Amino acid sequence: MSSPPGTNLQGSRMQHLDEMTILLYLERQLDRARAAEVSSHTQECDACRTLMRALERESRLLTRAMLEEEEPLPSRLASFQETARRSMQWIWMVMFGLATTGVYAIYTSYIEPVQNRLQDAGFGGTNLLGLLIFQGAFWKGWQSMASFVEIVALLVVGGSAALLFRRWFRRGTLAALLMAGMCAAAMMPGTASATEFRKGSTAEVAQGESIKGDVFLNGDRMRVEGTVSGDVFAFGRTLEVGGNVGGDVIVFAHTVHITGKVAGNVRAFNNNLTITGDVGRSLTAICESLAIEKSGKVGASVNDFSDSFTLDGHVMQDVLAMNGRLDLSGQVDGGIRLKAESLSIQDAAQVGGPIHYEGTKPPEVSPKAKLASAVDYVHAEKKPEHSHGGYYLWRLLWTSAFVLYGLVLIHLMPSFSKDCVLAAERIGASLGLGLLVGISLFIAAIIACVTFVGAPLGLLGFALWMVMLFSAQIVFGGLLGRWILGPSKDTWGQVGRMALGMAIVGVAVPIIHQVHILEAFVKLAVVIWGFGAISLALYRRLPGVATPSIPIPPPAI
Amino acid sequence: MSAPGTAESTEAIARARAGDAEAWGELYRDYAPAIFRFCRRALPTRQDAEDATMEVFVKVKEKLHQYDSTRPFSSWLYKVAANHCWDLLRRRKIRQDKETEDVETVPLEHPDANQLEQLIEKRTSEEVRKALDKLPARARMALVLRYYSDMSYDEIADELGVRRAFVGVVLLRARHELRQALESTGVLAAGGAG
Repeated sequence: MSSPPGTNLQGSRMQHLDEMTILLYLERQLDRARAAEVSSHTQECDACRTLMRALERESRLLTRAMLEEEEPLPSRLASFQETARRSMQWIWMVMFGLATTGVYAIYTSYIEPVQNRLQDAGFGGTNLLGLLIFQGAFWKGWQSMASFVEIVALLVVGGSAALLFRRWFRRGTLAALLMAGMCAAAMMPGTASATEFRKGSTAEVAQGESIKGDVFLNGDRMRVEGTVSGDVFAFGRTLEVGGNVGGDVIVFAHTVHITGKVAGNVRAFNNNLTITGDVGRSLTAICESLAIEKSGKVGASVNDFSDSFTLDGHVMQDVLAMNGRLDLSGQVDGGIRLKAESLSIQDAAQVGGPIHYEGTKPPEVSPKAKLASAVDYVHAEKKPEHSHGGYYLWRLLWTSAFVLYGLVLIHLMPSFSKDCVLAAERIGASLGLGLLVGISLFIAAIIACVTFVGAPLGLLGFALWMVMLFSAQIVFGGLLGRWILGPSKDTWGQVGRMALGMAIVGVAVPIIHQVHILEAFVKLAVVIWGFGAISLALYRRLPGVATPSIPIPPPAI
Repeated sequence: MSAPGTAESTEAIARARAGDAEAWGELYRDYAPAIFRFCRRALPTRQDAEDATMEVFVKVKEKLHQYDSTRPFSSWLYKVAANHCWDLLRRRKIRQDKETEDVETVPLEHPDANQLEQLIEKRTSEEVRKALDKLPARARMALVLRYYSDMSYDEIADELGVRRAFVGVVLLRARHELRQALESTGVLAAGGAG
């Protein structure tokens, strides 16, 4: 097609322009003088003029070919537009508001009465899950859960309102705001009580003094000798509770001594904790040494994570302990589940339930002790988990199983899998939604199981929750792979990226496993992230959210 | 629906910047097809183009406050899309193809105009698009930026990371490659027919 530069095509009369110069002339990229030269040359030279026309036609052909609308906007993009147009924010806000109202209503109408009846009848949870969740080891119980939901709901409403006000109350938003506000108002606690703050080297609630509501203590020496109707929050060096506390005691201190009466739970994070008084509900302690003295009493269960645990007093339900050693000479009405180095059961000890003990030394049990059954002892090797070869094999198997599971999922639902990974790229939305849906779905499934809704639906909810929980990690793996290798073109590309991501997770977990807390946080974040991404992708596929097609506007911009 | 670039569109942009979801929907409806086509031309597969379109609009939504309203909205939109697509290609390392080659040199030829005319005349838009798909990423991107988005040489230089003086060279090389692709398509078609 081409000739060498400068070829004289019309005898020796003139030197032809090169293609570059003509193109730059056509594209108006030459300076005025050069453009004039080119213009005058093309008027005289047929070959250059013809080439210029050809290049011009080529430009037009290119533009036409590119602008031509040969395929409609894919329905996925049309539905994405719908999603964008709708702006999920207020929909989610209303849904969450309604959901929390529903949860709260169902709780107060159905669960609380049943729970009270069970408590009155003397039934207490004895399994580990029940012990940790329902006996108030980690929270006050359903009541505090309701408070949590209230706070979250109010935060959501507040945040959304701030966003919505900017929009000059356009269509639908006012209604949403009103509904969510009503939900929040409906969930407000009946009586609000203020928190009393006491600070100083000695922060105390003196004898004879009575505080209605909660009290926050901060000081070198903290004392509660009077009466507090709400909770006591204490941060300092020492705390003595000699009076009456109507709610819980939550304390971070070096030394804690409870000689009085606490109607609620005690949650302590400290060095030494001694109980000679009365704790109405459960006791959770993370400390160096815990002692429940002879006169000490715990109304519900004890969850202890300490180096040394001496139990001379009375625990009315179960004991869950992970510690260095447990010396038992008191009374436990329920069972004991213990993971420790040693267990010593003295003459005066009484245990009403089974004793499961996993430790490095066999238990020392006095023959005079009154036990419902013999100690179920499992000898445990004191060896870090990750030092076992089996641990790595197990990790490998676990990762392979996930990859296999992911492979099946991606092949079954290639488009949905891709949508999930895409949704996961919206990190903030995924994490937020994951937290919301993860908790809500779990609670809804429990409620469905124990109320009139019925166990089948509840179990189905649980199954869905579990599937999403496992799939969440696949989504994260897919995202990780996508970040590294870029978006995939086909199903096998997606599988490969997911496998790469899962392999990285598989390698990373044993590393962060060395720091237990970190492992837990990372896993939780990954699960919430993936959970949210799946929820987001599901939402986009809800009927009514996705529209199959929209009229396509004219091609030009 | 407001046509892109009109006063109505400007108003929608202002409202969308204030957080109005309806206005944002309008903008999406108006501009999504064009941005999808842009991505379709610039990226190797339809799937990529769909993904990229969504991602571009997510970015646009996030960066809408950065948009300088004295400039045409579509230009800004194309710039965001070009950045995104080019970045995507870079991440996939597709851009490495021929990138290190002598971009600064192109033979100063005077091609046979009649032959070129003949080649162009015979080709349909669809054939040109197919030939475009065969081009290396940078050549394709250069042509798309110039002949679809109507970007200036300065903008193209900025986008592709070449000196402004060589944008013409890049474009001319891309045209040469396109002609070769068209010729080979023609040969294949002829072979297939025969």
